[in-house]
Amino acid sequence: MRQAPAALIVVATAGLLAAAAPGLASRARGAQQADTPRQIIEITAERFAFTPSEVRTKVGTTLEIRLRSDDTAHGFHIVGTDVDLELPKRGRGVATVTFTPKAGRYTFECSRLCGAGHEFMRGVIVASE
Amino acid sequence: MLPSSTVENYLKAIYQGASTLAPPQRLLPMGQLAAALGVVPGTATTMVKALAESGLVEYEPYSGVTLTPAGRKLAALVLRRHRLVELFLVRFMGFAWDEVHDEAEQLEHVVSDRLIDRMDEMLGRPEVDPHGDPIPDAEGQVKTQEAQSLMTCPIGAPVTVTRVVDQDGTFLRFLERHHLKPGAEIQVEERDASADCVRVRGEGDRLITIGTRAASKLLVHVARAALLLLIAVAPALAQDAAAAAARPPRTNLSGYMDFHYNKPEFGDGLLDFHRFVLLVTHSFSDRIRFVSEVEIEHALVEGGEEKGELELEQAYVDFLLHRSFNVRAGMMLMPVGIINERHEPPVYYGVERPFVDTVIIPTTWFEAGVGVHGEVGRGWRYRTFVAAPLNAAEFSAEEGIREGRQQGSEANAGRIATTGRLEYVGIRGLTLGGSWWEGRSGFEFRPRFDVPVKLAEADARYGRGRFEGRLQFAQVWIDNADLLNDALTRRVGVNPNIGHVLRGFYSEGGYRFVEGARFGDVGAFARYENFDTQYRMAGSGISLPQFDRDAWVFGATYWPDPDIAVKTDYSVVRNRSAVIQAPNSFNLGLGWWF
Repeated sequence: MRQAPAALIVVATAGLLAAAAPGLASRARGAQQADTPRQIIEITAERFAFTPSEVRTKVGTTLEIRLRSDDTAHGFHIVGTDVDLELPKRGRGVATVTFTPKAGRYTFECSRLCGAGHEFMRGVIVASE
Repeated sequence: MLPSSTVENYLKAIYQGASTLAPPQRLLPMGQLAAALGVVPGTATTMVKALAESGLVEYEPYSGVTLTPAGRKLAALVLRRHRLVELFLVRFMGFAWDEVHDEAEQLEHVVSDRLIDRMDEMLGRPEVDPHGDPIPDAEGQVKTQEAQSLMTCPIGAPVTVTRVVDQDGTFLRFLERHHLKPGAEIQVEERDASADCVRVRGEGDRLITIGTRAASKLLVHVARAALLLLIAVAPALAQDAAAAAARPPRTNLSGYMDFHYNKPEFGDGLLDFHRFVLLVTHSFSDRIRFVSEVEIEHALVEGGEEKGELELEQAYVDFLLHRSFNVRAGMMLMPVGIINERHEPPVYYGVERPFVDTVIIPTTWFEAGVGVHGEVGRGWRYRTFVAAPLNAAEFSAEEGIREGRQQGSEANAGRIATTGRLEYVGIRGLTLGGSWWEGRSGFEFRPRFDVPVKLAEADARYGRGRFEGRLQFAQVWIDNADLLNDALTRRVGVNPNIGHVLRGFYSEGGYRFVEGARFGDVGAFARYENFDTQYRMAGSGISLPQFDRDAWVFGATYWPDPDIAVKTDYSVVRNRSAVIQAPNSFNLGLGWWF
């Protein structure tokens, strides 16, 4: 331990943070369609988190939520609604759902048991006037 | 005053530009508007200021522009004229659908309301133009369309092309040539990320390959019967008033398994069914859940023999009160480190778990207790629990605090331990975490004395695309380790030489050099670990060099399915002792989750 190569850790840390930087730019993106207020949200699911886990929108906007898994099959359920779909496993495509919220907060969660931390996989959609 | 064609073009451009903004952004940047109109920003700003004076737009210097209700209606009516003219030219005048856009650009400014209403009537009050674009009504209202693009619709499901969001003539002719106009019934066969294309089965069972950029401009409607992955939701009830949508109680069964072959350098190989784990969960309601995890380790459990273990690793009830505050009680995983809460075999490289997650952080670490957890903002999570403490009488020099876990089995709770973790998961692919555990562990000795134990840990994990990297550092402090060694010496006759400070860290990088192949994914990894269970000794204790270890572990994983991992690795372990060697080992593993 006392002979530990500290430089290795410094280099690895810097590499990790540098590799993470592109992720900062790839949050929810605006829709390309004309005419209707529409917001495209891209959510990645991975044991045991949705990213982003907080989505903000305006009432009257239709959310087109595109869900991709980075590992196993997850579920996407918006509590209190009929929205409940299964995400394909890693590399097998994207599940899409459209959702037009009224004003309020909507919790979403993983609805397919995905591992020991399954219950932590939750997020929220906030629709405001 | 009737608006000029320039005014109408500005209003239309603002209208269409605004539809691409993601809330809460409401102002269209001037640069974007100028680019859409093909003018310099200064020209656009001058015009927009004039429109603001007319009450058609709101303009905020240095921020952008948005339409007023009056401006929005005018813009929608321009689009109405444009789209009705396009449809009229195609249906009654024999124009091709790729020719009409430019004509409509001119005519949209000159046709009268009376003429456009007559066209609307003759066309049968259509809702969409030849390209599938919605036609606003006479009040400027637009009917909402629910559609996906070829990039997002379910693979293999029959879909109908409903809209083309690019009026370029060349592109439209391409679609016509391949029978991909609105109304065409097709299905996506495959999306090939490596070739940046989408393969579509169209009319006559013909396979058509188109680029992803073009595919994103084709909107489709998914047939009702194919709604396995797509659920179009009408304006939904707010959750507070959603009792009717509450789901009935549900029970789920899941599990994972870990089968290993371990061949130490100087010994016979061992076949070991290391873990057989079943998870049973039950939802009493959307807000009350039960989760359990039962594990058989090493396949066989016989009374009185040191072979396998039958463990109840999790059995708790979660009361999900709010995203930011939930209560959990029962047998729970301690929220420490990367592996303890995330240990399904397909999600980590290497046949065996990292050494640091074995002798410094005693995974799988579970105890009976109660606590709270939640998430605030974009990805800040916490969990903090009180639980039974470790039993210092079971600590050892080689494995540290590992054997001190009481595991919820008539656990002494005279002194309560606290533990917690703060985690940031707000950036896609990145998890940053810090954990602690603190408890008093000397309860078994008479006369009783305190053995305060503290653990601090920090970790980072990043996975994006083919790459995954991990860093973890953990340190344990065992206070009064000299008193503990004395007490255990009196009990067993040998000084266990338990350290005062235990420390370990590791750094790992993995890369999937085959991904998305028909036979699955293949990745390789390397990990460096450094760990010492006698990093600092208390009193007159002597730090033994064989416990100051480091390891290089490198190997490969083959995933025939994302939930199945075939693993191999070679582990090179070194210590500082000139006498006692740590054996290297070759390992094979098969793990799966279902």
